[in-house]
Amino acid sequence: MSNNQVGPVYDHIIQEVINAVRVDFEENGVDDGILEELKKGWQHKLSQLGVATFPWDPKPEPAQPPAPAPPTNAAPVNNTATQQAQQAQQQAATNYTQSTLSPQTSAQPISHMGNLQQNGNGMIKNEPGLKNDPIIKQEPGTQAPGMVYANNAARGQMVAAHRAAQALESQYGNRAAASISAIQNSMQPQRPGQPPTQQQMQQQQMQQQMQQQQMNPQQQQQYRQGFNAMHQRMQQQQQQQQQGPNGAMNGLPAAQVDGPSDGFEGILMQRGPDGQPVEMGRVEIDNIIHAQMLARAKQMEGGGLMLPLREATRHRGVAKKRAAACPSQMDGPDDDFKDEDLDDDAINSDLDDPDDEKDDDEDDEDSMSHMMLCMYDKVQRVKNKWKCTLKDGVLTVAGKEYVFHKATGEYEW
Amino acid sequence: MATNSTSFYDLYRHGSLGVSLTDALDDLISAERIDPQLAIKVLNQFDRIVAESLQEKVKSRLTFKGSLDTYRFCDEVWTFLIKNVTFKMENGAHTVQADKVKIVSCSAKRTDEK
Repeated sequence: MSNNQVGPVYDHIIQEVINAVRVDFEENGVDDGILEELKKGWQHKLSQLGVATFPWDPKPEPAQPPAPAPPTNAAPVNNTATQQAQQAQQQAATNYTQSTLSPQTSAQPISHMGNLQQNGNGMIKNEPGLKNDPIIKQEPGTQAPGMVYANNAARGQMVAAHRAAQALESQYGNRAAASISAIQNSMQPQRPGQPPTQQQMQQQQMQQQMQQQQMNPQQQQQYRQGFNAMHQRMQQQQQQQQQGPNGAMNGLPAAQVDGPSDGFEGILMQRGPDGQPVEMGRVEIDNIIHAQMLARAKQMEGGGLMLPLREATRHRGVAKKRAAACPSQMDGPDDDFKDEDLDDDAINSDLDDPDDEKDDDEDDEDSMSHMMLCMYDKVQRVKNKWKCTLKDGVLTVAGKEYVFHKATGEYEW
Repeated sequence: MATNSTSFYDLYRHGSLGVSLTDALDDLISAERIDPQLAIKVLNQFDRIVAESLQEKVKSRLTFKGSLDTYRFCDEVWTFLIKNVTFKMENGAHTVQADKVKIVSCSAKRTDEK
Protein backbone atom coordinates (compact mmCIF):
# COMPACT_ATOMS: atom_id res chain seq x y z
CA MET A 1 0.00 0.00 0.00
CA SER A 2 2.70 2.41 0.96
CA ASN A 3 4.24 1.86 -2.43
CA ASN A 4 1.38 3.84 -3.91
CA GLN A 5 2.25 6.69 -1.64
CA VAL A 6 5.74 6.92 -2.99
CA GLY A 7 4.78 8.61 -6.24
CA PRO A 8 2.84 11.52 -4.75
CA VAL A 9 5.27 11.96 -1.89
CA TYR A 10 8.29 12.04 -4.14
CA ASP A 11 6.52 14.36 -6.51
CA HIS A 12 5.79 16.64 -3.62
CA ILE A 13 9.41 16.54 -2.51
CA ILE A 14 10.64 17.35 -5.98
CA GLN A 15 8.28 20.27 -6.27
CA GLU A 16 9.29 21.57 -2.88
CA VAL A 17 12.99 21.29 -3.55
CA ILE A 18 12.68 22.97 -6.92
CA ASN A 19 10.69 25.80 -5.40
CA ALA A 20 13.06 26.12 -2.48
CA VAL A 21 16.17 26.44 -4.61
CA ARG A 22 14.63 28.78 -7.14
CA VAL A 23 15.87 31.73 -5.11
CA ASP A 24 19.35 30.27 -4.95
CA PHE A 25 19.36 29.77 -8.67
CA GLU A 26 18.32 33.34 -9.24
CA GLU A 27 20.95 34.61 -6.86
CA ASN A 28 23.57 32.69 -8.76
CA GLY A 29 22.31 34.10 -12.02
CA VAL A 30 21.34 30.68 -13.30
CA ASP A 31 18.58 30.57 -15.83
CA ASP A 32 15.19 29.25 -14.83
CA GLY A 33 15.34 26.85 -17.75
CA ILE A 34 18.20 25.04 -16.12
CA LEU A 35 16.16 24.61 -12.97
CA GLU A 36 13.45 23.11 -15.10
CA GLU A 37 16.02 20.90 -16.71
CA LEU A 38 17.22 19.77 -13.32
CA LYS A 39 13.69 18.80 -12.41
CA LYS A 40 13.16 16.89 -15.62
CA GLY A 41 16.49 15.15 -15.27
CA TRP A 42 15.70 14.23 -11.71
CA GLN A 43 12.31 12.81 -12.61
CA HIS A 44 13.76 11.04 -15.58
CA LYS A 45 16.42 9.32 -13.53
CA LEU A 46 13.95 8.40 -10.87
CA SER A 47 11.65 6.84 -13.44
CA GLN A 48 14.55 4.86 -14.82
CA LEU A 49 15.08 3.28 -11.42
CA GLY A 50 11.51 2.02 -11.62
CA VAL A 51 11.03 1.89 -7.87
CA ALA A 52 7.45 3.05 -8.10
CA THR A 53 4.93 4.61 -10.44
CA PHE A 54 5.21 8.35 -10.52
CA PRO A 55 2.62 10.95 -11.40
CA TRP A 56 4.77 12.37 -14.16
CA ASP A 57 5.09 9.04 -15.91
CA PRO A 58 2.72 8.43 -18.80
CA LYS A 59 0.05 6.13 -17.51
CA PRO A 60 -0.21 3.23 -19.95
CA GLU A 61 3.40 2.30 -20.54
CA PRO A 62 6.15 2.72 -18.00
CA ALA A 63 8.20 4.72 -20.47
CA GLN A 64 10.09 7.75 -19.32
CA PRO A 65 8.68 11.24 -19.65
CA PRO A 66 10.09 13.22 -22.57
CA ALA A 67 12.80 14.74 -20.49
CA PRO A 68 15.92 15.62 -22.42
CA ALA A 69 19.06 14.32 -20.87
CA PRO A 70 21.00 17.37 -19.71
CA PRO A 71 24.43 16.54 -21.06
CA THR A 72 23.38 15.97 -24.66
CA ASN A 73 22.34 19.46 -25.60
CA ALA A 74 25.03 21.08 -23.56
CA ALA A 75 28.17 21.60 -25.58
CA PRO A 76 30.61 22.41 -22.82
CA VAL A 77 33.64 24.53 -23.21
CA ASN A 78 36.11 21.85 -22.42
CA ASN A 79 34.78 19.61 -25.16
CA THR A 80 35.49 22.13 -27.84
CA ALA A 81 38.82 22.85 -26.36
CA THR A 82 39.71 19.19 -26.45
CA GLN A 83 38.61 18.92 -30.02
CA GLN A 84 40.71 21.89 -30.87
CA ALA A 85 43.68 20.35 -29.21
CA GLN A 86 43.19 17.10 -31.05
CA GLN A 87 42.88 18.94 -34.31
CA ALA A 88 46.00 20.81 -33.60
CA GLN A 89 47.79 17.62 -32.77
CA GLN A 90 46.74 16.03 -35.99
CA GLN A 91 47.82 19.00 -37.97
CA ALA A 92 51.05 19.11 -36.17
CA ALA A 93 51.54 15.50 -37.08
CA THR A 94 51.04 16.17 -40.75
CA ASN A 95 53.00 19.36 -40.89
CA TYR A 96 55.86 18.15 -38.88
CA THR A 97 57.45 15.21 -40.55
CA GLN A 98 60.25 14.96 -38.08
CA SER A 99 59.41 16.54 -34.79
CA THR A 100 62.18 17.45 -32.45
CA LEU A 101 60.01 16.07 -29.73
CA SER A 102 59.57 12.73 -31.37
CA PRO A 103 61.20 9.66 -29.89
CA GLN A 104 64.75 8.80 -30.80
CA THR A 105 65.29 6.89 -33.96
CA SER A 106 68.23 4.78 -34.98
CA ALA A 107 69.78 7.75 -36.69
CA GLN A 108 69.46 9.92 -33.60
CA PRO A 109 71.27 8.45 -30.68
CA ILE A 110 71.17 11.59 -28.57
CA SER A 111 68.63 14.32 -28.45
CA HIS A 112 70.81 17.19 -29.40
CA MET A 113 72.11 15.13 -32.25
CA GLY A 114 68.57 15.26 -33.56
CA ASN A 115 68.84 19.00 -33.59
CA LEU A 116 72.15 18.89 -35.32
CA GLN A 117 70.77 16.62 -37.91
CA GLN A 118 68.10 19.10 -38.69
CA ASN A 119 70.68 21.74 -38.93
CA GLY A 120 72.68 19.80 -41.43
CA ASN A 121 69.74 19.17 -43.64
CA GLY A 122 68.28 22.61 -43.52
CA MET A 123 64.59 22.90 -42.79
CA ILE A 124 63.34 19.52 -41.96
CA LYS A 125 60.01 20.25 -43.59
CA ASN A 126 61.69 20.16 -46.96
CA GLU A 127 63.26 16.82 -46.51
CA PRO A 128 62.49 14.84 -49.63
CA GLY A 129 61.11 11.40 -49.23
CA LEU A 130 59.78 12.13 -45.80
CA LYS A 131 57.39 14.84 -46.82
CA ASN A 132 54.74 12.40 -47.85
CA ASP A 133 55.41 10.04 -45.05
CA PRO A 134 52.91 10.67 -42.27
CA ILE A 135 54.79 8.53 -39.80
CA ILE A 136 56.70 10.57 -37.31
CA LYS A 137 58.45 7.88 -35.51
CA GLN A 138 60.78 5.79 -37.53
CA GLU A 139 60.70 2.24 -36.41
CA PRO A 140 64.10 0.82 -37.03
CA GLY A 141 64.16 -1.48 -39.99
CA THR A 142 60.55 -1.00 -40.95
CA GLN A 143 60.78 1.24 -43.97
CA ALA A 144 63.01 1.41 -47.01
CA PRO A 145 63.02 5.19 -47.63
CA GLY A 146 64.37 5.62 -44.15
CA MET A 147 67.70 4.24 -45.28
CA VAL A 148 68.32 7.05 -47.74
CA TYR A 149 67.25 9.45 -45.16
CA ALA A 150 69.51 7.95 -42.56
CA ASN A 151 72.51 8.34 -44.84
CA ASN A 152 71.68 11.94 -45.49
CA ALA A 153 71.11 12.47 -41.88
CA ALA A 154 74.39 10.91 -40.88
CA ARG A 155 76.29 13.08 -43.29
CA GLY A 156 74.42 16.14 -42.17
CA GLN A 157 75.12 15.23 -38.62
CA MET A 158 78.81 15.04 -39.20
CA VAL A 159 78.95 18.38 -40.93
CA ALA A 160 76.82 19.94 -38.30
CA ALA A 161 78.80 18.42 -35.51
CA HIS A 162 82.03 19.76 -36.92
CA ARG A 163 80.57 23.17 -37.35
CA ALA A 164 79.19 23.16 -33.90
CA ALA A 165 82.46 22.00 -32.45
CA GLN A 166 84.41 24.66 -34.28
CA ALA A 167 82.02 27.35 -33.28
CA LEU A 168 82.16 26.26 -29.71
CA GLU A 169 85.87 26.22 -29.75
CA SER A 170 86.13 29.66 -31.24
CA GLN A 171 83.76 31.15 -28.80
CA TYR A 172 84.41 29.42 -25.57
CA GLY A 173 87.76 27.81 -26.06
CA ASN A 174 88.59 25.26 -23.48
CA ARG A 175 85.56 25.87 -21.45
CA ALA A 176 83.40 24.30 -24.11
CA ALA A 177 85.39 21.14 -24.09
CA ALA A 178 82.62 19.21 -22.42
CA SER A 179 80.11 20.06 -25.06
CA ILE A 180 82.51 19.43 -27.89
CA SER A 181 83.57 16.11 -26.59
CA ALA A 182 79.93 15.20 -26.12
CA ILE A 183 79.38 15.93 -29.79
CA GLN A 184 82.36 13.95 -30.81
CA ASN A 185 81.54 11.03 -28.62
CA SER A 186 78.05 10.82 -29.85
CA MET A 187 79.31 10.88 -33.41
CA GLN A 188 81.53 7.89 -32.91
CA PRO A 189 78.90 5.16 -32.96
CA GLN A 190 77.76 6.50 -36.30
CA ARG A 191 80.91 5.42 -38.07
CA PRO A 192 82.51 2.47 -36.45
CA GLY A 193 85.76 1.24 -37.88
CA GLN A 194 87.00 4.65 -38.85
CA PRO A 195 90.10 5.82 -37.11
CA PRO A 196 89.64 8.88 -34.96
CA THR A 197 90.29 12.05 -36.86
CA GLN A 198 92.78 14.57 -35.81
CA GLN A 199 90.12 16.78 -34.52
CA GLN A 200 88.82 14.06 -32.36
CA MET A 201 92.22 13.60 -30.86
CA GLN A 202 92.27 17.28 -30.14
CA GLN A 203 88.96 17.00 -28.48
CA GLN A 204 90.17 14.19 -26.32
CA GLN A 205 93.10 16.23 -25.24
CA MET A 206 90.78 19.04 -24.44
CA GLN A 207 88.64 16.73 -22.49
CA GLN A 208 91.59 15.76 -20.37
CA GLN A 209 92.36 19.38 -19.89
CA MET A 210 88.89 19.97 -18.82
CA GLN A 211 89.07 17.19 -16.32
CA GLN A 212 92.13 18.79 -14.88
CA GLN A 213 90.26 21.98 -14.47
CA GLN A 214 87.59 19.99 -12.67
CA MET A 215 84.55 21.79 -13.83
CA ASN A 216 81.54 21.18 -11.74
CA PRO A 217 78.37 19.86 -13.39
CA GLN A 218 76.55 23.13 -13.01
CA GLN A 219 79.08 24.91 -15.12
CA GLN A 220 78.84 22.22 -17.70
CA GLN A 221 75.14 22.71 -17.77
CA GLN A 222 75.62 26.38 -18.43
CA TYR A 223 77.92 25.70 -21.28
CA ARG A 224 75.50 23.21 -22.68
CA GLN A 225 72.85 25.85 -22.69
CA GLY A 226 75.19 28.25 -24.32
CA PHE A 227 75.90 25.68 -26.91
CA ASN A 228 72.25 25.23 -27.68
CA ALA A 229 71.70 28.93 -28.14
CA MET A 230 74.75 29.22 -30.26
CA HIS A 231 73.63 26.32 -32.35
CA GLN A 232 70.36 28.02 -33.01
CA ARG A 233 72.04 31.18 -34.11
CA MET A 234 74.19 29.15 -36.38
CA GLN A 235 71.14 28.10 -38.25
CA GLN A 236 70.24 31.69 -38.76
CA GLN A 237 73.62 32.79 -39.94
CA GLN A 238 74.72 29.62 -41.60
CA GLN A 239 78.42 30.08 -42.23
CA GLN A 240 79.04 32.93 -39.88
CA GLN A 241 81.23 31.53 -37.20
CA GLN A 242 81.87 34.53 -35.06
CA GLN A 243 79.35 35.16 -32.36
CA GLY A 244 78.44 38.32 -30.55
CA PRO A 245 79.96 38.56 -27.10
CA ASN A 246 76.55 39.23 -25.67
CA GLY A 247 75.45 35.72 -26.55
CA ALA A 248 73.37 33.55 -24.36
CA MET A 249 76.16 32.95 -21.93
CA ASN A 250 73.98 33.27 -18.91
CA GLY A 251 71.11 31.21 -20.25
CA LEU A 252 68.71 34.03 -20.99
CA PRO A 253 65.54 33.37 -23.02
CA ALA A 254 67.31 32.73 -26.27
CA ALA A 255 69.09 29.85 -24.66
CA GLN A 256 65.89 28.03 -24.03
CA VAL A 257 64.79 27.79 -27.62
CA ASP A 258 66.62 24.95 -29.21
CA GLY A 259 66.10 22.93 -32.28
CA PRO A 260 63.84 24.29 -34.96
CA SER A 261 65.18 26.46 -37.71
CA ASP A 262 64.19 30.06 -38.21
CA GLY A 263 60.85 30.79 -39.77
CA PHE A 264 59.49 27.71 -38.19
CA GLU A 265 59.54 28.23 -34.51
CA GLY A 266 56.02 27.16 -33.60
CA ILE A 267 55.61 23.88 -31.87
CA LEU A 268 52.06 23.33 -32.99
CA MET A 269 50.56 24.42 -36.26
CA GLN A 270 46.93 25.09 -36.78
CA ARG A 271 45.18 25.26 -40.07
CA GLY A 272 43.81 28.74 -40.62
CA PRO A 273 40.54 29.59 -42.33
CA ASP A 274 42.26 29.72 -45.71
CA GLY A 275 43.78 26.31 -45.27
CA GLN A 276 47.25 27.61 -44.63
CA PRO A 277 49.04 26.36 -41.59
CA VAL A 278 49.15 29.07 -38.99
CA GLU A 279 51.66 28.90 -36.24
CA MET A 280 50.14 28.72 -32.80
CA GLY A 281 51.48 31.08 -30.22
CA ARG A 282 52.69 30.08 -26.84
CA VAL A 283 49.58 31.42 -25.19
CA GLU A 284 47.32 29.43 -27.46
CA ILE A 285 49.23 26.28 -26.80
CA ASP A 286 49.16 26.97 -23.11
CA ASN A 287 45.42 27.40 -23.31
CA ILE A 288 45.01 24.09 -25.04
CA ILE A 289 47.14 22.31 -22.53
CA HIS A 290 45.31 23.97 -19.71
CA ALA A 291 41.95 22.98 -21.13
CA GLN A 292 43.10 19.42 -21.46
CA MET A 293 44.38 19.35 -17.95
CA LEU A 294 41.05 20.64 -16.74
CA ALA A 295 39.27 17.96 -18.68
CA ARG A 296 41.56 15.32 -17.21
CA ALA A 297 41.03 16.63 -13.74
CA LYS A 298 37.33 16.45 -14.30
CA GLN A 299 37.62 12.87 -15.40
CA MET A 300 39.62 11.98 -12.37
CA GLU A 301 37.14 13.66 -10.13
CA GLY A 302 34.32 11.64 -11.58
CA GLY A 303 32.86 14.59 -13.39
CA GLY A 304 31.07 16.34 -10.66
CA LEU A 305 30.04 17.01 -7.21
CA MET A 306 29.88 13.80 -5.33
CA LEU A 307 31.06 10.31 -5.57
CA PRO A 308 28.81 7.69 -4.17
CA LEU A 309 29.80 7.32 -0.58
CA ARG A 310 31.12 3.83 -0.90
CA GLU A 311 33.40 4.74 -3.78
CA ALA A 312 34.79 7.60 -1.79
CA THR A 313 35.44 5.40 1.19
CA ARG A 314 36.89 2.75 -1.02
CA HIS A 315 39.46 5.17 -2.32
CA ARG A 316 40.37 6.12 1.15
CA GLY A 317 40.57 2.50 2.08
CA VAL A 318 42.96 1.81 -0.75
CA ALA A 319 45.14 4.68 0.27
CA LYS A 320 45.20 3.48 3.82
CA LYS A 321 45.99 -0.01 2.75
CA ARG A 322 48.79 1.19 0.60
CA ALA A 323 50.21 3.21 3.39
CA ALA A 324 50.03 0.21 5.61
CA ALA A 325 51.44 -2.12 2.99
CA CYS A 326 54.61 -0.17 2.30
CA PRO A 327 55.98 1.24 5.49
CA SER A 328 59.35 1.13 3.81
CA GLN A 329 58.47 4.31 1.99
CA MET A 330 58.64 6.22 5.18
CA ASP A 331 62.29 6.37 5.88
CA GLY A 332 64.18 8.40 8.34
CA PRO A 333 64.44 8.34 12.07
CA ASP A 334 60.79 9.15 12.80
CA ASP A 335 59.61 6.01 11.11
CA ASP A 336 58.17 4.51 14.22
CA PHE A 337 56.48 7.69 15.21
CA LYS A 338 54.56 7.86 11.96
CA ASP A 339 53.47 4.30 12.27
CA GLU A 340 52.13 5.06 15.67
CA ASP A 341 50.17 7.92 14.25
CA LEU A 342 48.57 5.68 11.71
CA ASP A 343 47.67 3.19 14.35
CA ASP A 344 46.10 5.86 16.48
CA ASP A 345 43.91 6.81 13.59
CA ALA A 346 42.92 3.25 13.07
CA ILE A 347 41.91 2.76 16.68
CA ASN A 348 39.75 5.81 16.75
CA SER A 349 37.12 4.50 14.44
CA ASP A 350 35.88 1.22 13.09
CA LEU A 351 35.71 2.76 9.67
CA ASP A 352 39.45 2.96 9.46
CA ASP A 353 39.86 -0.75 9.69
CA PRO A 354 40.50 -1.97 6.17
CA ASP A 355 38.86 -5.32 6.84
CA ASP A 356 35.71 -3.73 8.10
CA GLU A 357 35.62 -1.49 5.13
CA LYS A 358 35.80 -4.42 2.82
CA ASP A 359 32.85 -5.95 4.60
CA ASP A 360 30.96 -2.73 4.26
CA ASP A 361 31.54 -2.62 0.57
CA GLU A 362 30.26 -6.11 0.15
CA ASP A 363 27.23 -5.28 2.20
CA ASP A 364 26.59 -2.23 0.16
CA GLU A 365 26.79 -3.99 -3.13
CA ASP A 366 24.63 -6.84 -2.04
CA SER A 367 21.99 -4.86 -0.30
CA MET A 368 21.89 -1.89 -2.55
CA SER A 369 18.51 -3.05 -3.67
CA HIS A 370 17.44 -3.82 -0.10
CA MET A 371 17.97 -0.81 2.02
CA MET A 372 16.10 1.11 4.62
CA LEU A 373 16.95 4.68 5.47
CA CYS A 374 15.15 6.03 8.47
CA MET A 375 15.25 7.63 11.90
CA TYR A 376 15.18 5.63 15.07
CA ASP A 377 13.14 6.43 18.09
CA LYS A 378 14.14 3.54 20.24
CA VAL A 379 16.46 0.62 19.97
CA GLN A 380 16.13 -1.92 22.75
CA ARG A 381 17.81 -5.18 23.39
CA VAL A 382 17.07 -7.91 25.84
CA LYS A 383 19.68 -10.62 25.56
CA ASN A 384 19.68 -11.46 21.89
CA LYS A 385 16.26 -10.03 21.13
CA TRP A 386 16.15 -6.63 19.55
CA LYS A 387 13.25 -4.27 19.22
CA CYS A 388 13.34 -1.02 17.39
CA THR A 389 10.96 1.73 16.70
CA LEU A 390 11.77 3.51 13.51
CA LYS A 391 10.12 6.38 11.77
CA ASP A 392 10.13 8.53 8.70
CA GLY A 393 11.78 5.97 6.55
CA VAL A 394 12.29 4.94 2.99
CA LEU A 395 12.57 1.26 2.28
CA THR A 396 13.81 -0.20 -0.96
CA VAL A 397 13.07 -3.87 -1.32
CA ALA A 398 12.92 -6.08 -4.36
CA GLY A 399 13.07 -3.16 -6.76
CA LYS A 400 10.18 -1.37 -5.12
CA GLU A 401 10.23 1.52 -2.77
CA TYR A 402 8.09 2.09 0.28
CA VAL A 403 7.76 4.98 2.61
CA PHE A 404 6.56 4.70 6.16
CA HIS A 405 5.80 6.96 9.01
CA LYS A 406 6.46 4.38 11.65
CA ALA A 407 7.99 0.95 11.63
CA THR A 408 8.62 -1.55 14.34
CA GLY A 409 11.08 -4.31 13.94
CA GLU A 410 11.81 -7.37 16.01
CA TYR A 411 14.75 -9.55 15.32
CA GLU A 412 17.08 -11.97 17.00
CA TRP A 413 20.79 -11.89 16.85
CA MET B 1 25.76 11.85 9.09
CA ALA B 2 24.30 15.23 9.90
CA THR B 3 25.03 18.18 7.72
CA ASN B 4 26.57 20.94 9.71
CA SER B 5 24.85 23.86 8.11
CA THR B 6 21.29 22.69 8.32
CA SER B 7 21.29 20.06 11.06
CA PHE B 8 19.38 17.74 8.79
CA TYR B 9 20.73 14.37 7.91
CA ASP B 10 22.03 13.76 4.45
CA LEU B 11 21.02 10.16 4.98
CA TYR B 12 18.27 10.25 2.39
CA ARG B 13 20.69 11.25 -0.32
CA HIS B 14 21.56 7.59 -0.54
CA GLY B 15 18.03 6.58 -1.38
CA SER B 16 16.74 6.45 -4.91
CA LEU B 17 15.35 9.96 -4.71
CA GLY B 18 18.62 11.41 -3.50
CA VAL B 19 20.74 9.39 -5.88
CA SER B 20 18.74 10.51 -8.88
CA LEU B 21 18.92 14.11 -7.73
CA THR B 22 22.66 13.85 -7.28
CA ASP B 23 22.98 12.32 -10.72
CA ALA B 24 20.93 15.06 -12.30
CA LEU B 25 23.00 17.69 -10.53
CA ASP B 26 26.19 15.97 -11.58
CA ASP B 27 25.09 16.10 -15.18
CA LEU B 28 24.50 19.82 -14.93
CA ILE B 29 27.80 20.38 -13.20
CA SER B 30 29.83 18.43 -15.71
CA ALA B 31 28.08 20.35 -18.46
CA GLU B 32 29.23 23.45 -16.57
CA ARG B 33 25.77 24.84 -16.38
CA ILE B 34 25.65 25.23 -12.63
CA ASP B 35 28.16 25.70 -9.85
CA PRO B 36 29.02 22.87 -7.50
CA GLN B 37 28.20 25.27 -4.66
CA LEU B 38 24.72 25.69 -6.02
CA ALA B 39 24.34 21.93 -6.18
CA ILE B 40 25.33 21.71 -2.52
CA LYS B 41 22.62 24.19 -1.70
CA VAL B 42 20.14 22.09 -3.60
CA LEU B 43 21.16 19.01 -1.68
CA ASN B 44 20.88 20.84 1.63
CA GLN B 45 17.38 21.88 0.73
CA PHE B 46 16.68 18.33 -0.28
CA ASP B 47 17.79 17.05 3.13
CA ARG B 48 15.38 19.37 4.85
CA ILE B 49 12.45 18.81 2.57
CA VAL B 50 12.70 15.04 2.55
CA ALA B 51 12.75 14.93 6.31
CA GLU B 52 9.78 17.27 6.57
CA SER B 53 7.80 15.58 3.85
CA LEU B 54 8.28 12.14 5.31
CA GLN B 55 7.15 13.48 8.64
CA GLU B 56 4.10 15.28 7.37
CA LYS B 57 2.89 13.43 4.34
CA VAL B 58 3.40 9.80 5.18
CA LYS B 59 1.07 8.02 7.51
CA SER B 60 1.61 4.37 6.75
CA ARG B 61 3.02 1.90 9.22
CA LEU B 62 5.24 -1.06 8.77
CA THR B 63 6.40 -4.00 10.82
CA PHE B 64 9.18 -6.37 10.05
CA LYS B 65 10.79 -9.45 11.52
CA GLY B 66 14.00 -11.19 10.80
CA SER B 67 17.29 -12.35 12.21
CA LEU B 68 19.89 -9.78 12.95
CA ASP B 69 23.21 -10.47 11.33
CA THR B 70 25.23 -7.39 12.16
CA TYR B 71 24.57 -4.41 14.34
CA ARG B 72 26.63 -1.33 14.73
CA PHE B 73 26.18 1.87 16.63
CA CYS B 74 28.60 4.54 15.68
CA ASP B 75 28.32 8.30 15.88
CA GLU B 76 24.66 8.05 16.82
CA VAL B 77 23.91 5.99 13.76
CA TRP B 78 22.52 2.51 13.98
CA THR B 79 23.33 0.15 11.20
CA PHE B 80 21.62 -3.21 11.08
CA LEU B 81 22.10 -5.98 8.64
CA ILE B 82 19.10 -8.23 8.88
CA LYS B 83 18.65 -11.51 7.10
CA ASN B 84 15.50 -13.30 6.07
CA VAL B 85 13.25 -10.39 6.69
CA THR B 86 9.52 -10.21 6.25
CA PHE B 87 8.00 -6.79 5.92
CA LYS B 88 4.35 -6.36 6.69
CA MET B 89 2.69 -3.31 5.35
CA GLU B 90 0.08 -1.68 7.48
CA ASN B 91 -2.97 -3.29 6.02
CA GLY B 92 -1.46 -6.65 6.70
CA ALA B 93 -2.38 -8.11 3.37
CA HIS B 94 0.78 -6.97 1.74
CA THR B 95 4.02 -8.65 2.73
CA VAL B 96 7.44 -8.46 1.19
CA GLN B 97 10.28 -10.89 1.72
CA ALA B 98 13.94 -10.14 1.46
CA ASP B 99 16.93 -12.28 2.24
CA LYS B 100 19.00 -9.36 3.38
CA VAL B 101 18.26 -5.78 4.28
CA LYS B 102 20.53 -3.07 5.46
CA ILE B 103 19.03 -0.51 7.76
CA VAL B 104 20.75 2.79 8.31
CA SER B 105 19.10 4.83 10.96
CA CYS B 106 19.89 8.18 12.48
CA SER B 107 18.62 9.41 15.78
CA ALA B 108 15.20 10.97 15.52
CA LYS B 109 15.83 13.16 18.54
CA ARG B 110 18.40 15.25 16.92
CA THR B 111 16.12 16.47 14.17
CA ASP B 112 13.48 17.31 16.73
CA GLU B 113 15.90 19.35 18.75
CA LYS B 114 17.02 21.56 15.92
